[in-house]
Amino acid sequence: MIELRGITVRAGAATLLDEVSVSFPRDRFTAVLGPNGAGKSTLIRVAAGLLRPSAGTVRYDGEPIDAIAPDALARHRALLSQHVELAFPLPAIDVVMMGRYPHIRGAPTERDHEIVASALEQVGMTHRATQPYPTLSGGERQKIQLARVLAQIWRANDAPSHRTLLLDEPTSGLDVHYQLQLLGTARELAGQDCTVVAILHDLNVALRYAEHLVVLEGGHVALETDASEALDASLIERVFRVRAHAVTSAPDEPPIWTFSL
Amino acid sequence: MTRHSNTRAYVALAIVLALSLVLSGAVGAFTFPPARMASYIAQGAGWIPLDTADTLGRNVFLQLRLPRVLLAALTGATLGVSGTLMQGLFRNPIVEPGLAGTSAGAALGASLWFVLGGTTLGVIGPLAMIGALAGPLLACIGALVATLIVYRVSSSFGRVNVFTLLLAGIAVNAVCGAGTGFMSYIARDPQARNITFWNLGTFTTADWRAVILVSIAFVLCFALALRDARALNALMLGEDEAALLGIDPRALVRRLLIVNTVMVAVATAMVGVIAFVGLVIPHVLRLARSSSYTWLIPSSALLGAVTMSIVDVVARLVIAPAELPIGIITAIVGAPVFLGILLREQRHGRIALFG
Repeated sequence: MIELRGITVRAGAATLLDEVSVSFPRDRFTAVLGPNGAGKSTLIRVAAGLLRPSAGTVRYDGEPIDAIAPDALARHRALLSQHVELAFPLPAIDVVMMGRYPHIRGAPTERDHEIVASALEQVGMTHRATQPYPTLSGGERQKIQLARVLAQIWRANDAPSHRTLLLDEPTSGLDVHYQLQLLGTARELAGQDCTVVAILHDLNVALRYAEHLVVLEGGHVALETDASEALDASLIERVFRVRAHAVTSAPDEPPIWTFSL
Repeated sequence: MTRHSNTRAYVALAIVLALSLVLSGAVGAFTFPPARMASYIAQGAGWIPLDTADTLGRNVFLQLRLPRVLLAALTGATLGVSGTLMQGLFRNPIVEPGLAGTSAGAALGASLWFVLGGTTLGVIGPLAMIGALAGPLLACIGALVATLIVYRVSSSFGRVNVFTLLLAGIAVNAVCGAGTGFMSYIARDPQARNITFWNLGTFTTADWRAVILVSIAFVLCFALALRDARALNALMLGEDEAALLGIDPRALVRRLLIVNTVMVAVATAMVGVIAFVGLVIPHVLRLARSSSYTWLIPSSALLGAVTMSIVDVVARLVIAPAELPIGIITAIVGAPVFLGILLREQRHGRIALFG
């Protein structure tokens, strides 16, 4: 469980988050939704401990994030950022190995190499392992970064510890196949002692995969719920400034939303 | 890091280094065959009795040639590692101590000492020791201030802007150059001549004191840099990604800027300003093998030492019996290589220039 209480983030005169309190339940898949500029990335960066809020506290399973040593935090919390560029022609596999850095004492072990290989396989990039990262396409780079964060919080053999995976618009730049695969992976992780939080733009995808929803609007929480029905047309229309219409596909499935201006 | 080990490459580089050290020891105004050099070293170390028939050769080798050979190699290693570190810190493959103001700042600090301090303090017996260290110390301060200004101006929000970096480098180099120029202008003649020589880089003044100072600075700084090799790798992804991997990027940058500056400043105070070596060495090693700093830091020390030894041999030979200043050779060779690197980066449409 990650609890954010009274989080305020200011940047100059602007208030990016205004006393936001949300919880990301343990071992569940939380989707963070909201229009551009609602504060979604800021929220996830605060949750990752990357950004220190002007006010408020972040707790991991009750422990204040400031009390956790940065390298200890790095062993069980990973964040997939939106764009990670590299000015040097490092092979993709070396970039994935960086995910193991918080675990490495001395030199990488056989186990580290295994994990890197498995992570590459999981994102379907084994064939690109030795290719220089800057020469990969945007989507391929995204997959390598995903492999890196997966390697960072790879389940330990011996002591199963609790893990957190934060994803900032993970599906941008990926084709439909890999979008679904990534969300499937994230969902699967949430079933294996991992708290997953993803910023998503596709409401239908969020409703299908997430077990917990947070909707941000202008630095405030517009909705936090476990019940997907709570995301109704009036809320969508107000927050996203579109007209929304629900199409029911099957009785047990969530509705599919269509939008128009 | 890719799985194949770098050991073979290190061994190959070490062999080439050993050969170039022998070559550098052998040639010059006096020529020493390898067996004679070995004998001199053994005599100097007291392993075998002194050969009284050959005092001149032994003294020339032990007091002039050997320190020069070692100082050249150490300086090369220092500049190679420094180039690597600075490219890591600035997250860009076109940075080196000469461009980022480090060398010019060190030169200004050291020339202040040459002209103002050296004469007044250095002659007073007990203070001579302070005098010996004050030059390098002032060089360190000058280098640190210059590098910090360039870094502060060019980095914002965890990113380094290369255009700002180069422009800031030009500005800081100009100011330091003006200061050094002013120092040589107000200096009395022998000092001025020293500064001129030394602004072009020279190993003619090499002695054991310089070898010891530079080797202490190099060994300490090299060990500290090597500990941060993996953190520098992570920094390639940016400060945020490094922080997410449990590294404190600010502390890392601060630490390595100091390590780098101390190393460069001590070498610069001893041998003067030598440009382009720090730029070219890491680039060659990147092309040859990998951009991982666990490889680049040790290998740039080795290749830097090899390169500088060979450059020193060339300096001694081309216009013998006179000598060419080192900096002239490295600039003649290094500047075109630098332009080549720029062209290559541009043609590949690499984001490199936009860090």
